Amino acid sequence: MILEQIVNGLGQGAIYALMSLGYALIFGVVGLVTFVHGDVIMLGAFTAYYSFAYLGGNLLLSIVLGFAVSGVMGFFIHRICYNRFFNSPRQISLICTIGMGMFLRNLVQVVAGAESKPIPNIFGSGAVTFAGLRITYMQIFIFAVVLILVLVLTVFLNKTRVGMSLKSVSMDKTASALVGINTKWTTTMGNMIGCGLAGVAGVLLAMYYGTITPMMGGTIGMKAFCCAVLGGVSSVGGAAVGGLLIGICENLGIMLFSAGMRDTVSFLLLILILLIKPEGLFTRRSR
Amino acid sequence: MKEKLNQTLKGMQGFHFDLLRHENKVIVAIMAVLFLLPIFISNKVVINTFTLILLYILLASSLNVVNGYSSQFNVGQAGFYCIGAYTAAILTTRFNISFWLLLPVSGLMAALVSLLLSAPTAKLKGMYFTIVTLGFSEIVRQLCLNWTDLTQGPRGISGIPSPEFFGIDYPRSTFFYYVVFALAVIMLFCTNRVLASRVGRAWRSIREDDAAAASLGVETARYKMINLAYSAFWAGVAGCVYVFFQRFVSPDTFTLDESFNILAMNIIGGQGTLLGPIVGSVVANLITELFRSALQYRMLLYSALIILMMWLRPQGLVGAINRDGGTRLFRRTKPAKSDAAKGGTAA
Repeated sequence: MILEQIVNGLGQGAIYALMSLGYALIFGVVGLVTFVHGDVIMLGAFTAYYSFAYLGGNLLLSIVLGFAVSGVMGFFIHRICYNRFFNSPRQISLICTIGMGMFLRNLVQVVAGAESKPIPNIFGSGAVTFAGLRITYMQIFIFAVVLILVLVLTVFLNKTRVGMSLKSVSMDKTASALVGINTKWTTTMGNMIGCGLAGVAGVLLAMYYGTITPMMGGTIGMKAFCCAVLGGVSSVGGAAVGGLLIGICENLGIMLFSAGMRDTVSFLLLILILLIKPEGLFTRRSR
Repeated sequence: MKEKLNQTLKGMQGFHFDLLRHENKVIVAIMAVLFLLPIFISNKVVINTFTLILLYILLASSLNVVNGYSSQFNVGQAGFYCIGAYTAAILTTRFNISFWLLLPVSGLMAALVSLLLSAPTAKLKGMYFTIVTLGFSEIVRQLCLNWTDLTQGPRGISGIPSPEFFGIDYPRSTFFYYVVFALAVIMLFCTNRVLASRVGRAWRSIREDDAAAASLGVETARYKMINLAYSAFWAGVAGCVYVFFQRFVSPDTFTLDESFNILAMNIIGGQGTLLGPIVGSVVANLITELFRSALQYRMLLYSALIILMMWLRPQGLVGAINRDGGTRLFRRTKPAKSDAAKGGTAA
């Protein structure tokens, strides 16, 4: 029973890991807290809905579209919420992202309607039995997608020029500017990739949960932050591990309490981490 | 072309209303107008709208105490609002406790819970505290949704009785209008006095520079807790009035959007002054009422307005005179030199 919940936790945790990866990337490169991440995830989920409903149920297409649409939204978020405010008090960009999130939520509600939308279950209920545990095809697919994305992201950040400029801007913006890196475009790129990852997380979330509403971004955004803080907000790998941990803990918590207490568990975990080790589990340097 | 735009924007940001020097007189004037309103207007819908405006003055002012007068940024005020509301609803439907007694009781309950929240978190760095308040607001709502034994879950609690007032039969909307009006006036007066007291001075010192205040012997954590408790008390009182006004309560009212709504009124009006939330509440509620016909697009307009305010005038319409509305703690670079200094050294 516990092992089953751990498997469920890994499946869900993989999605959380993807969400918090995007968050950690944005926070690392742009340096500002964002409250719009949940709504970017929601945007990805709705892209998946429209892709499944009108463009046939092609999985790869949905994921690519989710990445693209959210990535483009990331560009607008950067221009509206971050670009002007790099030298202003942090609160101002934060409030801008709050406004942006509100705008996105209500825009989707106006365009797509407020009722919840169903997502067809492509994998059916097929599952693999492995050592007495039942692992569904969907969980395997989600875990595989996240693993591939994490690998691609690691290669991108460490081996490509753009990726390394992202890393350097996240370490020291002024020094990066001094060596000739275009910080404006690098932060835009970081934001776009982070939002793109959030979009893919939204697609996976839509498939996993089966229904989506325009208002789903609120709790999800908070959860992404929980996972990122747990792993250490400046560490991309830590954020992924944090996501997996929270996924597992949530499912174990549901076993102990009730299904409705799912979000309470992650929040209490967040408070615990903030009290014990606020830098997160895997931070290498203090921010 | 870009320089001209930037110049205009800087000009708008720098313009401050001189009326802030006469702030108290302006508040008294506004309150006098609001006091006389039901005498001249008998339209129930208008009176109810203004009751809501007064309720939001109460809520926005309570949030302003935290955001504008300590170095904390709270985005989860709906959580305390919810606690006050549900305390009132549960106690009145189960134990028939009177409305007048429930006003302070709901406030005290919310303040107590705020102490539970701030005890572990008062020492957290700015942004982390903000996220915690957000999570707290959501958790309160989830608890109200799921703890069905206590709160009847998504169905909400209905059948709230009408308050007794010396056995007099009164017109409902006028009664509630004056109740909320009295509460708002009491709150503003209390806050004015508290801000002028030792506690208020401690708050202002923490707002200006956390570390310096601590080095001068101000117990920052303790005063931040007092600050949050005071703010939560009034949010709880507002929740109690809301419950009796609507005769119904459900968790749907206290979503994150409601928290952001209260925050937006503070942003639009300005934080760090007593007048700011009043202006913000009036402006925001009038806009939402004017656009009631285009219901769906109302929130779009509202959120666009928030973003616009951040671009044009981040300290709000009548925010604190220091340009950033008391948010200096979140500054990441050295403060920009004033224009006079720049002009001097350039020459």
